[in-house]
Amino acid sequence: MSATTLVLLLVFVGVLTFLYRYAMIGVFASRSLPGWLHALCRHIAPASFAALTASALFVSAGEVQFAFDTPRPWAALVAVTVAWRTRNVLATIGAGMAALYLLKRLF
Amino acid sequence: MAGPGMSAGGEFLAGCRDEAPLLLGVAPFGMIYGIAALSAGVPAWLAQLASAVVFAGAAQLVIVQMLAAGAGALPIALTSGLLNLRHVLYSASMAEYVRHLPRRWRLLLAYLLTDEAYAVAVLRYQRRDHSAPPAPAPDLRHWYFLGAGFTLWAGWQLSTAAGLLFGATIPSEWELDFAVPLTFIALLTLLLRERAGQAAALVAGLGALAFAALPYKLGLVAAILLGLLAGVWTVRRLERAR
Repeated sequence: MSATTLVLLLVFVGVLTFLYRYAMIGVFASRSLPGWLHALCRHIAPASFAALTASALFVSAGEVQFAFDTPRPWAALVAVTVAWRTRNVLATIGAGMAALYLLKRLF
Repeated sequence: MAGPGMSAGGEFLAGCRDEAPLLLGVAPFGMIYGIAALSAGVPAWLAQLASAVVFAGAAQLVIVQMLAAGAGALPIALTSGLLNLRHVLYSASMAEYVRHLPRRWRLLLAYLLTDEAYAVAVLRYQRRDHSAPPAPAPDLRHWYFLGAGFTLWAGWQLSTAAGLLFGATIPSEWELDFAVPLTFIALLTLLLRERAGQAAALVAGLGALAFAALPYKLGLVAAILLGLLAGVWTVRRLERAR
């Protein structure tokens, strides 16, 4: 992606995000939101994070690769376990990175 | 703590003080974002600018992760546009408290309306002050909102800068870009309390693999939309079963 495209992209996302934030405060102050929007917003974050995680771990150059002979999937598994047990974000990131460094010595 | 009859400056400082503890949780994300932006090839000045213009942590991490994976501008815009949609809900929730304010105040507070500022400011508005009778004093709670929002803004800019400085000095063998998917794993686990969210995540995750071959990473957008459908469908089914 060219630098110009990237600048335009970031400005677009920034303006859009501002419009979201301003929409009800500044423009439609009196209207209430439909229920389906609340329902939809609940699922957007889990769906996005799951898709991105799966893609980061198992997609390489447009191809699905279960590279279990490399450290990252296993380090991610450690992170999932720690996340499940502790529900602590920093502990999860720390354990995942520590597992990555440890496994890189083994592989 | 903010109390009744506080001055504008007092409200502002109370907002700053109540927001400050949240910076402990936010700063690592800012640093991870800065580091990952550099390793995705984003120039430092642009990464810092994005923290001011976009000013939404989860979306910025998603943008950087997708850039690193070679995604095109359209799927990145669609994904971050969806992910930030929740801010409309915060905006609606805040509307009744700030709609009497002049436009310049509403513009400023809208810009500062992040997850973390919302969480702190909405509590201030919902708190009932029993300690004093409702005096005819002017409502100065927008100063509290401003203090909370400004504190988070400053923390986000500074932690981004720290990540950019740190990221420029560490070798890529440290693989700190891996911290971004780890962050997604951590946040995902917190979000998976209910059935429908689990269904949405499962379908979106599998979809990301099924559509991996689509160009510009458009498969991610398709996977997320399919996940949303699965979430909505699960809610419907659970309601019918009840």
